[in-house]
Amino acid sequence: MKIRINGIDCEAQPGEFILDVARRNNIYIPTLCHHDAFAGEARCRLCIVEVVERGRSRVVTSCVYPVAGEIEVATDTEKIRSLRKTLLMLLLARTPQNETIKKLAREYGVTEVARFESDPQEECILCNLCVRACEQLGAGAIYAVNRGVTKKVATLFEEPAEECIGCAACAAICPTGAIKVLEKEGKRIIWNREFEMVPCSNCGRPFATAEQLAFYRARLKVAPDRYGGDRLCENCRQKRAAELASLMSPARLR
Amino acid sequence: MKSEQAKRKILVCCGPGCLAVGGREILEGLRSRIAAAGLDATVEPVIKGTGCHGLCEQGPMVRFLPEDISYCRVSLPDLDEIVEQTVRQQKVVERLLLVDALTGRRVKSQGENSFYKKQLKIALRNTGEINPLNIDDYLERDGYRALAKVLFEMDPETVIAEVEKSGLRGRGGAGFPTGLKWRQCARVDNSPKYVICNADEGDPGAFMDRGIIEGDPHSVIEGMVIGAYAIKAHRGFVYIRDEYALAVKTMLEAIRQAEARSYLGRNILGSGFDFSLEVVRGGGAFVCGESTALMASIEGRVGEPRAKYIRSVERGLWDQPTVLNNVETWANIPPIILRGGEWFSSIGTAKSKGTKVFSLVGKVKNTGLVEVPMGITLRELIFDIGGGILNDRKFKAVQTGGPSGGCIPAEMLDLEVDFDSLTAADSMMGSGGMIVMDERTCMVDTARYYIDFLTEESCGKCSPCREGLKRMREILNDICSGAGLPGDIELLEEIGGMVRECSLCGLGKTAPNPVLSTIKHFREEYDEHVHRKRCPAGICRPLTTFVIDGEACTGCGLCRKNCPAEAISGEPKEPHVIDQSRCTKCGNCIELCRFNAITVK
Repeated sequence: MKIRINGIDCEAQPGEFILDVARRNNIYIPTLCHHDAFAGEARCRLCIVEVVERGRSRVVTSCVYPVAGEIEVATDTEKIRSLRKTLLMLLLARTPQNETIKKLAREYGVTEVARFESDPQEECILCNLCVRACEQLGAGAIYAVNRGVTKKVATLFEEPAEECIGCAACAAICPTGAIKVLEKEGKRIIWNREFEMVPCSNCGRPFATAEQLAFYRARLKVAPDRYGGDRLCENCRQKRAAELASLMSPARLR
Repeated sequence: MKSEQAKRKILVCCGPGCLAVGGREILEGLRSRIAAAGLDATVEPVIKGTGCHGLCEQGPMVRFLPEDISYCRVSLPDLDEIVEQTVRQQKVVERLLLVDALTGRRVKSQGENSFYKKQLKIALRNTGEINPLNIDDYLERDGYRALAKVLFEMDPETVIAEVEKSGLRGRGGAGFPTGLKWRQCARVDNSPKYVICNADEGDPGAFMDRGIIEGDPHSVIEGMVIGAYAIKAHRGFVYIRDEYALAVKTMLEAIRQAEARSYLGRNILGSGFDFSLEVVRGGGAFVCGESTALMASIEGRVGEPRAKYIRSVERGLWDQPTVLNNVETWANIPPIILRGGEWFSSIGTAKSKGTKVFSLVGKVKNTGLVEVPMGITLRELIFDIGGGILNDRKFKAVQTGGPSGGCIPAEMLDLEVDFDSLTAADSMMGSGGMIVMDERTCMVDTARYYIDFLTEESCGKCSPCREGLKRMREILNDICSGAGLPGDIELLEEIGGMVRECSLCGLGKTAPNPVLSTIKHFREEYDEHVHRKRCPAGICRPLTTFVIDGEACTGCGLCRKNCPAEAISGEPKEPHVIDQSRCTKCGNCIELCRFNAITVK
């Protein structure tokens, strides 16, 4: 079926979410809590758009709104811009020093919020992606604790978590860079816990925590001595893959 | 039947309000005295809707049938006289009769009381009349007859058609047509399906749902079995907040009795239809009254709502088709089946049919559970049924629809109450809370109270509700403490408008109502607070100065004697004065003064 987004005809499948259709057609809709790896949860509400269906216009969240009929979508109307502006003003009041939020807010004409007191250390906007990433990977070391205005992401009782493998997937997925990872002298510190890092068998650069590698091997059911016990960093792994590929290339095999 | 009717009954209210003031002791005291005297009357405990009659303040209530005599504030020393006069000689003990708030006269029976005259009881038809812990009481009053009719004379389609014909709309707040909801769910080709009763009543000052469950649990069960038959569900849940200990206990016992009589379980009444019902106890989160959060909670997940673009009738509990209705909605089903959808739709307004239960509380003379036809005016509710404003003060506003409802001012007292008129007045029906406020209520402080409640209860999932409520609370706290800034009112409107438009669930979408409706109807009060640093109602302490009008003061000394700060001085029969440096603005003096001599500067 076809839907119109900002006047452009877009092909869509029934049940597909507006945001996905828009992105495929290079139409920009701002998001914070969205990630392609996960189903939308509609937390940040930045992806609001106006939908006109059967002559009625309403504001919907595009990341979870499924296309069911031939609808008209407008992603950047005056109304939507004004709502996003107020929302970003509130998010900036929450995370006044965060560069991602500052930049987004500037796009909507908000540069500072003087009316409210803010915590200059706060950078998390509670999108929940870190929690979901950690859960999906299988560690399940962090949670959204408390409720409402006191809600925050933390390990159990805010103690260094036994379940944490130090993989830093949470930090990698965080849209605002709120999760701090400190790496130096072969150690990684994250969520109040210190991890020894394993050096790459090839280049010698520390690249992952021992817990992380053990977790992956167990999860993938890979014996420790497989690949001759080699532990390669991302870089070296890619290099070796390329070498292998060229060894196996049809030209050479002929 | 004749002998049954002639049987004398003494109904002792054992609802929480009456229990708290000794209802249980009265029940046992009457039982032992009557047994000792060898009189022919059974004493049965009857749970009245909490607070009906204003029982919370007038309890314990005792009612005598068939004479239909009602006594209020019965205490243990009254019992001997009651047994001798009323039980033995069928005479009325005048001093124990309830005073009609409207006429000031003592009345013998409930029917003579203005509080009851305009009421019409459908959902509350049995509440206060039967012993909820005895299924035979329910059966005596046509209980489970609607279920038998459905199982043996109607197919699911005719049941749905009957409910559609009735025009019944969901009593939980949103007012979605019940029949349509059932039809949509019945149409989905996917099983298993579920039915849920939402009894997670969390509004401050509301007790409609607990009143029904504690007084007449079988009407809810019967409604649910009928609904399950209509959509072909075989499993149901009653989600009751755990703080409602009596409601949980009563429902569990009612389910046990219904199972024993084959109204629940396998092969109900031999019809071949199976349906089991379980009680789930809610952990006390207000947001779990939101249907999708409630389902998450039943599933054992964190009680957070989800977007409802895909509705629960398609994908609800465990992603299966689910019909969720509120307690009062379910309780309306059996009478609709027995008496017909047409009968039900003859009551009420064009788009809101039937009756609605309200918990009428606040500054009215009669507080309690009332059930009235849709379309009754606010004036009739508050001044006829409620008996008017306490201490005959001036009415200022009525807050309807729970914490996220709006405040309706005096100019709109003749509003005919239904789903659409309340929404048009920037408020909402909600589940039926109705809090009456008098002139000694500060509307900014009221808005602050509700926003504070909602901020505490927001789940924090979506950013508009979480961040918006937090900042609105900060602004309102500032305004009430005298730190309001120019532009604050406009900022409240801006944030409120965004929260209303952008929030994920019903809680967030309606949360700004208390602020937006008070700004709309009482903007001058906000202006006074922000720009002139004055609280006209004399509630916000930093913005209040009480003064004594020397002309009006008679020097009676009442305020002086009752001032906890000893800030008032004056000779007898001479005008008194308040020492502002000592005054703590508690408001005792203005509440007590009988000459209106104390004013807010």
